[in-house]
Amino acid sequence: MSTALSVQDLNRDLARRINAEARSNPQSPYANKFVGIANGQVVVVTDDLDDLARKLRQAEPDPTKTFGIEASRDYGEVQQVWGPI
Amino acid sequence: MPHIDWPLRNGRPSVQVVLTLAQGKQQIVRELLADTGAGSLLSGFELILDEDDCLLCGGNPLQPITLGGAYTGVYPIYLLPVQIPTLGFSHDVRVVGVPSLLAGFDGIAGFGFLNRFQYGNFANPGVFGLQS
Repeated sequence: MSTALSVQDLNRDLARRINAEARSNPQSPYANKFVGIANGQVVVVTDDLDDLARKLRQAEPDPTKTFGIEASRDYGEVQQVWGPI
Repeated sequence: MPHIDWPLRNGRPSVQVVLTLAQGKQQIVRELLADTGAGSLLSGFELILDEDDCLLCGGNPLQPITLGGAYTGVYPIYLLPVQIPTLGFSHDVRVVGVPSLLAGFDGIAGFGFLNRFQYGNFANPGVFGLQS
């Protein structure tokens, strides 16, 4: 449990750094790409979500030890859901 | 062209998607409100489902997203295999995991998902359909 949690922290921290780099440098190899991370390491950089999923699952069957990010996206931007909940 | 439609559900458009449980690979059907007002092509998500479904189906976590409107706050996103067999659709889709859903539906199919297809009533006001 604690190992899984620390892997999640590593993954999230790496994702934060990758997104910061991509947002500050449009020439970054990660800019506007889907980046997959498993066990604290980048395992895929791709334009395709199916490819992202496939390579994440190949790299690490336990999804809790994987993480993905769309580099360059502003995750603080509010996305509206106008549906009737 | 492959086509499928579903009767309106409580007078609202709905679509059915098939998910696959991580344990045992059993397939489960989820009925979603078809809602073009849920997100945009740029929103970074296509479906909204119960977070339990996302976890039970082995979704890979992605960076959480900030929502406003019917849902407000930061919500987890999962990359999840989604199928509509009649249309031959089988892709990994970005899904928001939420703790509660609109009564009568198992989730929401947002604009990003519906726009993958031709969608509408196809001249039958009692149904909502997709065509690929």
